[in-house]
Amino acid sequence: MLRTLRLALAALAILGIPALTSAKDRDVSIGLQAAITSMDPHYHNLSPNNSMMLHVFEPLIKRDANQKLVPGLATSWKALDDLTWEFKLRKNVRFHDGSPFTADDVAFTLKRVPNVPNSPSSFATFTKPIVDVKVVDPHTIVFKTAATHVLLPSDLASVMIISKLHGEKAATEDYNSGKAAIGTGPYKLAEYVPNQRVVLKANYGYWGGEEPWDKVTFKILTNAAARVAALLSGDVQMIETVPTADIAKLSADKKYALVDKVSNRVIYVHLNQRTDTSPPYVTGKDGKPLPKNPLKDARVRKALSISINRQAIADRVMEKRSVPAGQLLPEFFFGTSKKLQPAKYDPEGAKKLLADAGYPGGFALTVHGTNNRYINDDKIAQAIAQFYSRIGIDTKVETMPASVYFSRATKGEFGYMLLGWGTESGEQGSSLRSLLATYDTAKGMGVTNRARYSNPELDALISEAMSTIDDKKREGLIQKAAEIAMNDTALIPIHYEVSTWGTEKGFRYTPRTDQYTLAMGLKPGK
Amino acid sequence: MSDPILSAPAGPLAETTPGAKGGVAGPWSRFRADFAESRLALFGLALLVVILLVGLLAPVISPQNPYDLAQLDIMDSKLAPGERSADGSTYWLGTDDQGRDMLSGIFYGLRISLGVGIASTVFALAIGLVFGLVAAYFGGWVDTLVMRIVDIQLSFPSILIALILLAVLGQGVDKIVIALITVQWAYYARTVRASALVERQKEYIEAARVLALGQARIVFRHLLPNCLPPLIVVATVQVAHAIALEATLSFLGLGLPITEPSLGLLISNGFQYLLSGKYWISFYPGIALLLTIMAINLVADQLRDILNPRLRK
Repeated sequence: MLRTLRLALAALAILGIPALTSAKDRDVSIGLQAAITSMDPHYHNLSPNNSMMLHVFEPLIKRDANQKLVPGLATSWKALDDLTWEFKLRKNVRFHDGSPFTADDVAFTLKRVPNVPNSPSSFATFTKPIVDVKVVDPHTIVFKTAATHVLLPSDLASVMIISKLHGEKAATEDYNSGKAAIGTGPYKLAEYVPNQRVVLKANYGYWGGEEPWDKVTFKILTNAAARVAALLSGDVQMIETVPTADIAKLSADKKYALVDKVSNRVIYVHLNQRTDTSPPYVTGKDGKPLPKNPLKDARVRKALSISINRQAIADRVMEKRSVPAGQLLPEFFFGTSKKLQPAKYDPEGAKKLLADAGYPGGFALTVHGTNNRYINDDKIAQAIAQFYSRIGIDTKVETMPASVYFSRATKGEFGYMLLGWGTESGEQGSSLRSLLATYDTAKGMGVTNRARYSNPELDALISEAMSTIDDKKREGLIQKAAEIAMNDTALIPIHYEVSTWGTEKGFRYTPRTDQYTLAMGLKPGK
Repeated sequence: MSDPILSAPAGPLAETTPGAKGGVAGPWSRFRADFAESRLALFGLALLVVILLVGLLAPVISPQNPYDLAQLDIMDSKLAPGERSADGSTYWLGTDDQGRDMLSGIFYGLRISLGVGIASTVFALAIGLVFGLVAAYFGGWVDTLVMRIVDIQLSFPSILIALILLAVLGQGVDKIVIALITVQWAYYARTVRASALVERQKEYIEAARVLALGQARIVFRHLLPNCLPPLIVVATVQVAHAIALEATLSFLGLGLPITEPSLGLLISNGFQYLLSGKYWISFYPGIALLLTIMAINLVADQLRDILNPRLRK
C-alpha cells in the first residue's frame, strides 16, 4: 500500500510537475490595493474599477502610459465642425463570444451609460455633452454636441464599449456574474469575487495580438504590509503602491525590481473661502473667531504656501517618491506652464507676509486630511503642521478615514483641507475648471471647488479655453489661466505622487501616470 | 475553609478603623510583611514607582516636548538610536517618522497611558461600586435590572464597545476615558454585588439594621468597607487592562490626535517600518508598555494573594 503510494507520488513528480510548471509560467498573480466594486463598466466611476475594466472592455480611444490619446476601437476621429465629431471604427474586431463589433454597439453603449440604476458615481458626465448619435455605416459614427466640447475624445476614453447583443437585457448583476461581461478586450472575465479577487483568462483572438499570460489573478490586498508580504512570499508576482516604508528594503534586494513614475495625482490644499469671517477651525490664538477670513487674503495664502518645505516632505516623508508641485500636473502634461515652479521654502518671507496681512503673531488653524486615501497622507499633514508651527501659526492636525472626510470637506466643514486630485483627462484645463472655477454645478464649473475660491478673470479664461477646439490656442489659454491661479495661490499644490510597482525579477512592468495596474503592461523578461 | 469567621477579619477591622486610630498599625504592618514575602512583587512595585515617577515628571526630564510641533524637525526623522541631530543633540532611542525623540515620546506616552488607565479605573470603580452595592442591598427588581444590564454589557467584547463609542464620540483623551469607563464599570458592579451579597447576611449588618441606622449609612459605612478587598484586586488588574485597551485603540488610530501620540500610537507609527529594519520606532514604546503592564500585574497578583482569605496561612 505504502509502496504504491510512493510510486504514484514518484510518477506524479516525473510527469505532473514539469507539466504544471510550464503551465504556471503563463499564469501570473497581481496584488491590488483597492477593491473592485463591480464588473459593470458603467456602474461606478472609480479608478480601481476603470483600471480593471480595461482588461475586459475597450473604449473608442485609449490612453498610453503617459495618458496621450491613442486609437482604441476607433482608428481615427476628427471634428467636422465645432459641434460635430466623426469617428472611424476598427474593422474585424470581435467580442469574446465571436460576435462582430460595429457602430451599433457604440450607439447602444451611449444610450445605456446614463441609465444604470443605483450608480454610485455615474459615467454620464462623459456622455452628457453628446446630444445626438448617428450611425453612418457599420464602421462610421457621428456625434453631435449642444455646445463646443473640446474634451470629447478624452471623455470617450473613459467610456467602455459593451456588446449590444449581450447588454440589451443585462443589469449590473449580470456583469458581476460574468454573464454579460463580454467585451472586446485582451482578457475574458473568468471569476469576480467582490473584495477578494478577479480572475481573467486570455482572449486568444484579440485584435491587438496575443498577451503573454494565459491566466491573470488580481488579489485585493488593501493592507500595505500584507501586500508586501504577498510579494515576498511569492504569492503574487507584482504589487501596486509599494509602501514607501518598504522601498529601501525592496530596492536593496536583488530578487525584486521596482519601477516608478510620477503620476497625474497632485496632493494639494484647499483653503476655505466660503465665509467673510473666520471659517471653521481657523481662529485667533486665543481660540476666538477672527473678524475677517484670513484665507481670503492672497498674502496669507502665499505665506501658507512658501512656509512648506516641499523638498523635505519629498525626501523625508515620501522617501523620494514624490515630486514637489507648482501647479496641478507635472510639466509634460497638456496645458502646464514651465513658468510655474514649486514655491521656494522661505519661512522668513512667510512671517513677513503674515505681518503685512495683519497677523504678526500668527493665528490658529487645524489641518484636516485623510489617513487612508493618499500615500502617507497623515504624515504629510503632520509635516505641514510642523512648518506652520515655526512661522507662529498654532497648528493642530486631525485626520480621518476617507469615507468620513470627503463628505464633510464637501460641505465646507473644515478650514484647511488636504486633498488629492488625479487628472484623468491629462489636460490641466479640466482640473482648473473642476477645482478653481467659481462654483456653479449647472454650468459644470467648479464642481469640486470645496474652497469656493472665485476669480472672474480666471473663470473667463477657463470658459474660453474650454470652447477652443484648436489644440495650440487652447493650450496657451490654459497656461495663462494656470499662471493667474497659481500666482494668486488659489490653492496650495504640495507634490505629485510617484507611483511605485514592485515585481519579482523576471517581470517587467511599464509604469503609468494614471496609476493604473494593467496586466497588459506586465511582460516577462528583465 | 469558607467558614465565615475566616473570611471575616477585614470586617471588624474596617468597622473600627474610621473611629479608632489605635487599631491601624497592626494590620498595616502585617499587610506590608505579607507583601514583602514575594521578591517578584517588590520588584514589580519598585518598577511601578519608577514608571509613575517618569510619567509624573515627564515634562521635566524629557529632552524635548514631543507634542510641540515647533520642536520637531522632519529632517531628523527616522534616526537610529544614538544618532545626532543637525543641531547636535543626541537621540538615545532614535526618532520616529516625524523627527520626534522616541525617549521623550515614551515618557509623555507613559503619562497619557497611566493617566487614562487610572482615571478610567477610578470613575468606573465609583460607578460600578454604587450600582453593585445598591443591587445587592436592595435585591428584588433593582438587582435584576442592574445585573441584566451588566450581563448584556459583559456579553459584548470590550474592544467592540470601545470602538463604537469612539466612532460616535470622536477624538480626545476625555473621550477615551469615557469609553473605558463604559467598558469597565460592569466588572466592578458584578464583583461588588457578589461580595456584598455575602456580607449582607452577616451579623454586623443585622446589628446595624436593628439599631435603625439609615440605609445609606449601612450601605456605605458598613457594607462598603467590607467589600473592598476583592475590589482592590480587580481594580489593579483593570488598570493594566485599561492601559492595554487604550494602546489597542490608539494603535487602531482611534482616540488620541496623531500629533500627541500615546504608546499605542507610537507603536502603530513604527509598525510599518519594521520590515525595513527601523525597529526602534515600535520596539521601545512596546517595551515600555510591556514593563508597565507587567509591573501592575505583579503587584496585583500579590495583592490578590494577601487579600484572599482562602490563601491565608
